[in-house]
Amino acid sequence: MGRLLAIIFGALTVGLIAVGTVHGSKTTHASTPDGAVQAMFDNVKGHDWHGAYAFVAPSSNVDEGGFTRDLAGRNGSLRTYSQLDSVNTRVLHESENEATVRTEIKYATAVGASFETRDLKVVKDDGTWKVVWPAEKEVNVPPQVIPVNYLRWDIIWRGAGDDWGAQNVENPNCRILSMHAVERDGALIIMGEVVNEDTVPAFISVGAVLTDSSGKDIAEESSFDKLSHVLLPKEVSPYRIDFPGIKKADVKSVRMTHNWMLVPASADPVIAVLHQRIEKDLTGRTVLKGELLNESGQIVNIPHVLATFYDNGGQVIWVSDAYSDHALLPQTPQPFSVALRDDLAANVHTYRVTVNHYSLNSREN
Amino acid sequence: MSSPSIAPSRQVTLPSRAIPLSWVLLLALLVHGPLLLMQITNDSYDADFHKFFAAHYATHWFNPWNEKWFTGFSQTTYPPMEQQWMALFSHVMGLNLAYIFVQLIAILLLPLGVYKYARIWVGERAASYAAIGSVLLGSLASLVYVDGQLSTTWAAPLYLMALGYFYEWARENKMLALCKALALTMAAASAHHVTLLFASVIFTIPVVVTAIMDRKREGNDATVAGVVIRSAIFAALSLVGIIVVLLPYWLALKANPIKQMPIPHGSRENFFSQGWLAVNYIIVPWGAMLLALPFIFLKGLKESRLRPLFIGFWVTMIFGLGGTTPLPRILLGMLAGVVNAITGANVHNPFDILTFERFSFWANLMALPIVALGAVVLIDRYGRKAAFVLGALGAFSVAMAVSWPVYHPIHDAPFSTAEVVSFLNRDGHDKYRYLTLGFGSKMSEVGIYANASSVDGEYNSARLLPEMTQYGSAQLTNSKYYGTNGIESLRAVLKHAEQYGLKYIFVRDPYYEPLIAFAGWRKTEVYDRGNVSLWVKDGIPPAHKTPYGTPPTRMEGILWGTLPIGSSILALVLVLAFPDKRRKLETIEFPLTSSEEPVYREAL
Repeated sequence: MGRLLAIIFGALTVGLIAVGTVHGSKTTHASTPDGAVQAMFDNVKGHDWHGAYAFVAPSSNVDEGGFTRDLAGRNGSLRTYSQLDSVNTRVLHESENEATVRTEIKYATAVGASFETRDLKVVKDDGTWKVVWPAEKEVNVPPQVIPVNYLRWDIIWRGAGDDWGAQNVENPNCRILSMHAVERDGALIIMGEVVNEDTVPAFISVGAVLTDSSGKDIAEESSFDKLSHVLLPKEVSPYRIDFPGIKKADVKSVRMTHNWMLVPASADPVIAVLHQRIEKDLTGRTVLKGELLNESGQIVNIPHVLATFYDNGGQVIWVSDAYSDHALLPQTPQPFSVALRDDLAANVHTYRVTVNHYSLNSREN
Repeated sequence: MSSPSIAPSRQVTLPSRAIPLSWVLLLALLVHGPLLLMQITNDSYDADFHKFFAAHYATHWFNPWNEKWFTGFSQTTYPPMEQQWMALFSHVMGLNLAYIFVQLIAILLLPLGVYKYARIWVGERAASYAAIGSVLLGSLASLVYVDGQLSTTWAAPLYLMALGYFYEWARENKMLALCKALALTMAAASAHHVTLLFASVIFTIPVVVTAIMDRKREGNDATVAGVVIRSAIFAALSLVGIIVVLLPYWLALKANPIKQMPIPHGSRENFFSQGWLAVNYIIVPWGAMLLALPFIFLKGLKESRLRPLFIGFWVTMIFGLGGTTPLPRILLGMLAGVVNAITGANVHNPFDILTFERFSFWANLMALPIVALGAVVLIDRYGRKAAFVLGALGAFSVAMAVSWPVYHPIHDAPFSTAEVVSFLNRDGHDKYRYLTLGFGSKMSEVGIYANASSVDGEYNSARLLPEMTQYGSAQLTNSKYYGTNGIESLRAVLKHAEQYGLKYIFVRDPYYEPLIAFAGWRKTEVYDRGNVSLWVKDGIPPAHKTPYGTPPTRMEGILWGTLPIGSSILALVLVLAFPDKRRKLETIEFPLTSSEEPVYREAL
């Protein structure tokens, strides 16, 4: 009796483990085109680069190192601060030996979620599906000397031991140029532009407090990263402040809050914005596309693009931003893409792109 | 020069009687004393959390409102007993040694608790072997030296002891046993709430069933109804006692039900999905006990008296496997369904909130009486060889658990927080709030010594800030380990820096630098030879009170400062003032010819 019960409980234990293991197994196989893509990204998620490379078609003409650098990032770019979060696949087209799989990839990055959509070609190779991975061209900048002639502002603050009455350096003059409130997708959004009118650089932050009809504050938010916090003399930055869950009708007034102060800064690196145009992306959404060109001799690790869209009256009608997951190498153009609301696309008359940056070797970070 | 004479070896025989508990306690001291004094446990995962709570009690005994985490939270959200003892001892020996000392007491209590619990099913000799086994458990070493689960290691032995006395009350109607059982139960509840909710039930049910089965044993003449009624009396009185002793905890829970989104935890995964999970949650905590599993199954189901204990063990073991089997999720989901049906509440499946490593510890404790029977058989049959092998296996289990962080580090390289604390405590910097990123559990160390308040904290259940509870991530300082949820939670908090007076961010991990740089913080100072950098945001107003959470009333503070620790003092007084009646043993002739357990008769 005891032995029989022991066998029953033992079998029950093993059975439960088996059920849990089989049920929880996320193993995918390359027996279908999207299965091959999923299997490749499952390995990427587990940082098994060699395992992931096994799902790459030989015709891709990419070596394992290059493939790994494509996915894990290079040059201290945002991709190197990322972890693959999830992958959704959909077969767009499939024939006997070839298929196209739309792959929506979500990364968890150091600055928030990042999304990428790719249409991956999948081919049958020895009976199994393999992914044709389009290798990224690794640009080798030729050896050269890049002379730099940029402005830089250093500051000597009043020391602790200075005489009483010694003047400190004054804060710069900045001004909010415009402010425009709209309600979109259940959120009140305040946007506009701010300018540094001074001859010295400024560190700025802009926020807003909403008050209701009784004069009570109902919400307070800041522009966070939708603003260039360091403005050089005469430089203009857009700002955008989101109030999720607030309706415009509930707001009586908006009190803008700001802070400007003098900071050391440099005009380096200079990042040019080239070939800007509005078009549709793979999924049919309206985007502003273009190229960033790092004109300095130092790598810009994480560029952050802020786009301001104006109507024909010159009013700011939308501000959006995007982080590029590729570093900007010196003298090397790098494409960027910033989303624009489809319902506003027709009203956009002009646009302006400014670029923030984070560099590992920057003295301003 | 003549060769030294060699004395003829004496015949050393192994005891065929119970090992005295004083020897077992000495063994516990010998094994764990040096490890504790090496302060290994001070680097465990939750050690600084307990020290943080204790540091507050040391200076604000009757005021459990602590403003150093989450912009303010109530410490009545976590049972305080062992932390209050630490607070008391810290005045004499400092916080680090107080933690070690209180942990040592828990370790010394464990063999006493296991012995008392094991005696329900096995004789004194096997119970003493079980007590020895409890000292050498891999799961104990894992909880003490890796996880830092001081509360779990305190509560378990108190419950086990309480149940030993409950068994006496249920069968023999001993009023003194009831008093001891109640006092110990209240003390155990004051030590740990999760143990109260789960282990107390898991440990108790086999004892109730066994008490019913044993109602006529050893000259008793109890009836089923009598045992059941006495069990119900004990349950009712325990319930009242626990409600009273932890009243501020229940009030805090009612005022702020836990709304935290589920936070990922390895113990909820399938342990066979990744190699390290299997090692971390099965091989390390179970250690040599894995070898005994076939015996536990066979012996535990062969003898009818052991079956309730075995079934309790088996269920606990399955829970200890976390997400490896579907059973815990199903059973806890059903439990939540019942609670929702009765109360009309909307309780989520507790599976997504609980962590399951402690269930392995509880399963180990429940298996010990059965394993001890195997040890008796082995030692009787193989003598010293068996004792040596069993001892070596126990030692290996402890060694493996203690050394596991060396092979699977839970901390980054050590770094000093002294300069961080120094900065926060000078020049009025504590007017603002701060945040640490990449500090791990060192965040609590900063919290202990800094006067300033942080928006972050280590105790997830006390979090009320919506920026934290809405996302499935734990501490902000570890945001990157929680993927998109973690960083989104961090972004949400940083967006509201003005409201929270969050001016200073100390960064240990450069991973976080891009986000805070783009959000407007500027690097201003570097500490600990570049290990830590200070980032400052200008224009942040000084911190003020936030609307989240309500401080406990003065009366709640007084209750919190007296009843939980009072219950432990009461239990101590009862156990010491009214020691158990010694049982007179029959002399057992040596050599033993039978492996059967001797029959014990109680002295009159």
